[in-house]
Amino acid sequence: MNSVCGRIRNLDPRTKLVLLILANLMLFFHVAVSTQAVMVVLFLLPLVAAGRWRMALKFAVVYAVLTALGFLDPEFLGMPWLHVVSALAVGANMMLPCFITGAYAFSTTSPSAFICAMRRIHMPEAVVIPCVVVIRFFPTVAQDYRQIRAAMALRGIASGGWGMLRHPAQSLEYILIPLLMNATNVAQDLSVAALTKGLGRAGAHTSRTRIHMTPIDWLTIVVCTVPLALDIAGVI
Amino acid sequence: MTKQTPNAMPQQPTVEATTPSTGRAKLATADLITIGVFTALYFVMVCVATLASTLFTGGFGSIFLPAIAALISGCVWMLMVARTGKFGGITVMGVVIGLFLFVSGHFMLSFVASIVFPVIADLIARIGHYKNKALLLVSYVVFSYGLTGPILPLWFMKDAYVASLEARGKDAAYIDGVFANINTGTFFLSMGAILVCAVIGGWFGQRMMRKHFIKAGIA
Repeated sequence: MNSVCGRIRNLDPRTKLVLLILANLMLFFHVAVSTQAVMVVLFLLPLVAAGRWRMALKFAVVYAVLTALGFLDPEFLGMPWLHVVSALAVGANMMLPCFITGAYAFSTTSPSAFICAMRRIHMPEAVVIPCVVVIRFFPTVAQDYRQIRAAMALRGIASGGWGMLRHPAQSLEYILIPLLMNATNVAQDLSVAALTKGLGRAGAHTSRTRIHMTPIDWLTIVVCTVPLALDIAGVI
Repeated sequence: MTKQTPNAMPQQPTVEATTPSTGRAKLATADLITIGVFTALYFVMVCVATLASTLFTGGFGSIFLPAIAALISGCVWMLMVARTGKFGGITVMGVVIGLFLFVSGHFMLSFVASIVFPVIADLIARIGHYKNKALLLVSYVVFSYGLTGPILPLWFMKDAYVASLEARGKDAAYIDGVFANINTGTFFLSMGAILVCAVIGGWFGQRMMRKHFIKAGIA
């Protein structure tokens, strides 16, 4: 039931990939400001549809502020130093579509859907398996880090806010070495567990998560491609 | 059962991995999982480096991001290579990092850089059968350039940037002023910083390997 609901409100991972590529293409071709604004609105719509309206609102505000800054005329205001701010704003504005689509892809895709999509586009297993492990391993790193810091505090090493910065090489060693020690152990445990579950088998793997290209996906791709194509063709 | 000697385990469960690691064997599933674990740690290091370079150098701080990442992640990389010791390991690590950078909204060029440099690094390390210290250090330096992808647009997308500035009615003199500090000089400064930091980071990593992991039988 849940997956049916999710499918309606969430786009297919492959559509998200297309959106990411479109956002990147906007950097390659010098799109006009109007096209950029249209594309940003189009990229924000899936975020709203996925229920991340707060994130969408934040991006919209940032984009509006940056665009306004880009159009500022510092000469007119008599503050030449504003040139730097204005130019930085234009630069950040160019990167923003990439960040919006990236945030969308990252925050709305479940690991299993991501993996399923990677297999569907025939990504080699040599890339898929490390990706699975990376996603699985992030929470472990966070947990280990907290435990290591607690153990260090207990022994009075690098405690307090600036303690870590006073001896950077020592802090790096004391935090990283236990993390790496544990990482090698986890790698072995994961290998055994994964091989038991048949990850090492040749041939196609099945997945409980189903991904589907719906008409909404195709529509999103077409609608988002049109403004960019029109801009490149020089119509706008 | 889980407390077996560490370096005997990963080879056991698979058929392909029965050959000793001479740099010729194929990557088995166990190797791929090991690579994944170390890639996650490397990615954490990159995040720490991003935070550090943003804190220390302000808005354009990301030009020193690869250098700081190279400085702190030597241990992770050295241990990964020691644990895998097969051709392809370094490449896969680079590709996965590039993939995550791309999906999290970085520029596509970063993907190209994070394939090309790790492949070269892999080939260099292969000459020394993933054992030669000096070649591993060189290989690590080359690998560190793979992270330049996210910052390359600063120099190579300059035309697009200038065009979009002109579209907003900025005059040429002022654009030149803006680019006074984003020129070839900073490019070489940033690339040189990577070289120095990667050598220090790699050396630190190898020292840590000797001090902790070789004694414990992990590497």
